[in-house]
Amino acid sequence: MPSKFNIFLVLILISSSAFCQIENLKWQKADPSYEKPTKQAHRDYSFEADNAGEFIAKSLTNAYWFFISDVDGDNCPFHPSCSSFLLQSAKETNIFQASLMFFDRFTRDMNIAKGEDHYPRVSTGYYYDPPQNYTLNQGKIKYLPPAFIVDDE
Amino acid sequence: MRYFVTIFLLIPLSVLSQSTSFDFHSHENIKKFADYLFCEGDYLRAVEQYDLINQILDNDTIEFKVMLGYSELGLFQESNEIFEGVNDKSNFYADAYLLSLKNQLLIASKLINDSSISSFNSFQMKSFTKLTTISMLYDDEFNITREKFISPFNEEEQNSVSSFYDYKVEPPYKSPVLAGVFSAIIPGSGKMYVGEWGDGITALVVTSLFAFLAYDNFNADHTTRAWIFTGLGAFFYAGNIYGSISSAQIFNARIDFEFNDGLKLFLEQKNYFLPEYDFCK
Repeated sequence: MPSKFNIFLVLILISSSAFCQIENLKWQKADPSYEKPTKQAHRDYSFEADNAGEFIAKSLTNAYWFFISDVDGDNCPFHPSCSSFLLQSAKETNIFQASLMFFDRFTRDMNIAKGEDHYPRVSTGYYYDPPQNYTLNQGKIKYLPPAFIVDDE
Repeated sequence: MRYFVTIFLLIPLSVLSQSTSFDFHSHENIKKFADYLFCEGDYLRAVEQYDLINQILDNDTIEFKVMLGYSELGLFQESNEIFEGVNDKSNFYADAYLLSLKNQLLIASKLINDSSISSFNSFQMKSFTKLTTISMLYDDEFNITREKFISPFNEEEQNSVSSFYDYKVEPPYKSPVLAGVFSAIIPGSGKMYVGEWGDGITALVVTSLFAFLAYDNFNADHTTRAWIFTGLGAFFYAGNIYGSISSAQIFNARIDFEFNDGLKLFLEQKNYFLPEYDFCK
C-alpha cells in the first residue's frame, strides 16, 4: 500500500514532466531566417497586359529586371521602384504619358539631395512616391507630409 | 486543527453573505460605475453602462454624457443620432445642439447652415457664431469681408483666424502652366519655381549634358550616338516639363493639406469653441 506522500509525489512528478515537455516545445531551437526580404521576391515576370502600351512597358521592365536589377540588387530608394513606377504609370495612363512620368521620376532619383523632408517614408525605409500623384489629375493626388510613415503592404 | 477549519469555512461564508446582500447591478450602482468610467476617460465602456440604464432612468444628463462620450470616441454620427432623441425642453438641449454642430463639422467638413436657437445663453450664442463663421472656410463660395469674418472672435483668436482668411482668399498656389512654361524655356526652372531646387538643378544638368553630348557627337559625325543622346535628352526635357506641371499640382495639394490640417489643429485647440464640460468635480 503506497503512502499518501508517494501518491502526492507521483502526481507532482507527472505534472512537472508534462509541463516540461510543453516548455521544451516552446523553447526548442529555432531556425530563424536572417535574409532581408527584397522587392525582387514579389516581382511578377509575366507578360500579361491590357493593351499594347502596357505590353511594351512590361517587356522593357522584365528585361531590365532579368538582365540588370536582379543581378545588381535592390538599389532604388523609392517605393515603388523606378521600373515598377513605369509599369504602374502605364496601367494608370498610357505609354506616352508613362514615359514622361518615368523620365521625371528618373531625374528626381538622380537628385543627390532628395532630402529627408520631401517624401514620406514606407515602413521599410524607402521614399514613398506613388504614380497616382503624377497623372496630372488633381483629384487623384493624395498628399502625405514627409513625416508620415506609410504601411508597406 | 478544528479551529483552523472553522475559521477557513467562516471567512468565505461571511464574505459571501455580504456580497449577496449587496446589489451590484442596481441602477444607482450602474450609474455610479458608468460615472467613474466616464471620468476616467473610458468613454466606450461608460456609454455601454449608461445604455443599460438610460431607458429606465430617463435622465437628460446621462443622454448628454452618452452623446459627449460618442463624440470623444470619434463616433460623430452615433453622437448625432443621440441628439435626435434629446428633448428640446432639456437643460442640456442647447449644449447638445452645439455639440451636434461640432460633430456635423467633423463628419463632413462643410459650411454649417443651421440657425441659432432661443435657448442659447450669451456664451453659447458666441460659440455658435464662432463655429458657424469658421465653418465658412470649408465652403467653396467664400465671399465675406475680413472685418466681418474675424469680428466674432476675441483678440487672441483673431490672429489665427485672420491668417486662415488670407489662406482661403489668396492661397499661395503655384501655377502648373507657368511651371511648365518655365521648364520649357530653361529646363528645371519650373521645378525651382515650385521650390524643388534640387530636382530643378538635376534636371538642368542632365538635360544640358545630353544636349551637349548630342551636339558634340553630331559635330564629330557620330550620328548614331548623336541620335541616341538626342532622343534621351528629348525625353528628359519633355519629362521635366511634365514633372514641373505635376510638381506644381502636388505643391497646391500640399497647400490645401496644410490649410486643412492647420485649421483642424486650431479648432481642436479651441475645442471647436465649445465649453469644457466637467462632470467629474
